[in-house]
Amino acid sequence: MTLNVLIVDDSGVMRAMIRRTLSLCGIPLGEVYEAANGVEALEQLGEHWVDLALLDVNMPVMDGEELLTRIRASEEWRALAVIIVSTESSDTRLARLRAHGVEIVHKPFTPEQLRNTILEVTGLTHAAASNDISVPSGDFDF
Amino acid sequence: MQQPATTSLCQAATSTFESLALLFPELGSVEGAEFLPLAATVSVAFRGAGEGRVVVGVTAGILSALAENMLGAAAAPDVQVQRDALGELANVVTGNVLPLINGAKAVYRLDAPIDAGDAPFGARAGEVRQAFTRLQMDEGEALLAIFSLGETVAAPASSASALVGA
Repeated sequence: MTLNVLIVDDSGVMRAMIRRTLSLCGIPLGEVYEAANGVEALEQLGEHWVDLALLDVNMPVMDGEELLTRIRASEEWRALAVIIVSTESSDTRLARLRAHGVEIVHKPFTPEQLRNTILEVTGLTHAAASNDISVPSGDFDF
Repeated sequence: MQQPATTSLCQAATSTFESLALLFPELGSVEGAEFLPLAATVSVAFRGAGEGRVVVGVTAGILSALAENMLGAAAAPDVQVQRDALGELANVVTGNVLPLINGAKAVYRLDAPIDAGDAPFGARAGEVRQAFTRLQMDEGEALLAIFSLGETVAAPASSASALVGA
């Protein structure tokens, strides 16, 4: 099984970092789509099948909380596996997000944290993913 | 001895440099110190439970190391990528330092990082510099500051006393 993943973050650097982490951490990836805000994410969801969405919270145009509300209100996407990847630390806001049945990965995160959370929310086993974080020779991980 | 806002800034910045960019800072002196020339500075404005901005400046060696460690060697030479990487680091520092100062109930909204402009570590009209710190790494050094509009970063009275004089 491979996962189609949607990365939603207004920072191109963070989208690239998450994409790089996904490629290094042994998750069986299918297509990886990107969006810079909630509106773009909804457009991507209208065009592609997605198994997992990684959402930032603070974004212009439409933030991650509103996007999540719309996803959960959608007949087609209400069961989508969602992980919030954010610096958000407000108990109030995190409680509202968790009420939508999401897991939260706090920035800065390690590849292991992201990988383990993905395995948890998707139901993939460690056996389905490769066991090691793969770092290309001469390259740094973060 | 450092005051709480500066301690919080050091803690959030050190953790972010280490986890996000695999750079391992040590606290440097700011009293009477001569600073290395900065290659780039960015500012992240925040509003909500308090209003102000966090400024991060880094030397050239740190700037290129950020891009390389965050995005890979192929991306490192691109000047815009380097600045974007610094912006993301500043964004994560800001998101992490505010709850350390004001507690986890406060809600903030962060603006996108922007160039900090001239005199990046000087307070503008109406601002108070709440914290200023210097982190030294093998690759160079970073300066960080928190500016608030008004006396403190914090809105809650219970935490405001911890910031005065920081």
